[in-house]
Amino acid sequence: MGFDFDPSVMLSTLPLLMDGMFLTIFITIIGLITGFILGVSSGFAKLSRRAPLRLISDAYVGVIRGTPLIVQVMFLYFGLPMLTGARISPVTAGIIAIAVNSGAYISEIVRGAVQSIDKGQMEAGRSIGLTNVQTMCFVIWPQAFRRMIPSLGNQFIISLKDTSLLVVIGVAELTRQGQEIIATTFRAFEIWLTVGLIYLAMTMVLSRILRIIEKKLTDQGSV
Amino acid sequence: MNAPMSTHIDTQIDTPMIEIKDLYKNFGDVTVLNGVSLSVSSGEVVVIIGSSGSGKSTMLRCITRLEEISGGSIKVDGHHVHDAKSDINYIRTEAGMVFQNFNLFPHLSVLENVTLGPIKVRKTEKSEAIALGLKLLEKVGLREKAYNYPSQLSGGQKQRVAIARALALNPKVILFDEPTSALDPELVGEVLSVMRQLAEEGMTMVVVTHEMAFARYVADRVIFLEKGCIAEEGNAEEFFNSPKHPRLKEFLGQVQAL
Repeated sequence: MGFDFDPSVMLSTLPLLMDGMFLTIFITIIGLITGFILGVSSGFAKLSRRAPLRLISDAYVGVIRGTPLIVQVMFLYFGLPMLTGARISPVTAGIIAIAVNSGAYISEIVRGAVQSIDKGQMEAGRSIGLTNVQTMCFVIWPQAFRRMIPSLGNQFIISLKDTSLLVVIGVAELTRQGQEIIATTFRAFEIWLTVGLIYLAMTMVLSRILRIIEKKLTDQGSV
Repeated sequence: MNAPMSTHIDTQIDTPMIEIKDLYKNFGDVTVLNGVSLSVSSGEVVVIIGSSGSGKSTMLRCITRLEEISGGSIKVDGHHVHDAKSDINYIRTEAGMVFQNFNLFPHLSVLENVTLGPIKVRKTEKSEAIALGLKLLEKVGLREKAYNYPSQLSGGQKQRVAIARALALNPKVILFDEPTSALDPELVGEVLSVMRQLAEEGMTMVVVTHEMAFARYVADRVIFLEKGCIAEEGNAEEFFNSPKHPRLKEFLGQVQAL
């Protein structure tokens, strides 16, 4: 039995797949913004002089890094409501999962970058009368942030692709849309090919944006 | 607060600018400073010499509380540096610090390095801070580098920017922690000449250095630190011409042999 490639399916299903793509982008952006805030807080908590803060951050990073995202997603969507009695929508659960998951990795990125800045920078900041917080904001953070960009970019791309795991809780993102189209058309080759190309396009655009930001920041002074 | 820039008016002759009493500093079991007492008057240039590990840099760092002390007390312009009630950020604006490794802020332009303190700490208007910054860069001979970044400067230029950055807060005293030790030999002179100029203008300075010529010709007083104690001190001439302490004789012999 011969296989005949039918590119017209790719075109005719594109609008549906695009819907999925937009939801993927939406979940990624909101998830990563929240994850970034979580990660920066957790990263600084880990650098804190206060032991309880460090402990909380350690526990958070440890648990999230030590368990698969798909388990986290299912626990959040199916498990937790049994305890709390409050159901959340699949999209909300997806955003929370991406945020909490990326936050743990971003936490390590932030901690590492801040720690990599020479101790003399903090001393120089303090020696001109800046407070600890001012030195962090105006001296340490801008330098640390530049060093974070490649790793942050990496994490952003991973998180974008991780949204495909939300298929298990029925979020109508790109992968789920593909699956559903195949269930009615049986054109697995064409659809998965298209889905893959759309992911590739998204990650390429994202890395291009990150490279532009990186270049812009390193053009002025080197760190 | 708004004393005129780079002039040195201090009418209270009696209160020393820096007063160190019985300073002890341990790192774990190691005693680095073993009961140092030292008083620096306004307008005085004090040079501290000693072999590495003698506690010179540690002493300087204790003066602006980059290190905590283990015993004794330090006062800068009458303020207790290591008292929890003191405003350490204010004291640090009175006692500027110049580091061996410059520690310029690499993400800021030369001018921004100099104006950061005035803008954020002194709350100076930006335009005013820029005028001040340019004036100070002119003073250290780097006016034309104002919009460059530190990575584009030589070591000697970086250290001169660091001096301008310290001056921008109009400090009453500047502490120099081996300011020329990280420089190529041919770049040492330009930094020392800026320091000499400051000394001539009456700036109070405490300088940790290995530059004996600077100590001899610029210092009002030279101090030899040995194993965490002041082993010898005196005016530059008697210090170099008739050293008494056997370790100092040995040290000067070694340095001059180079």
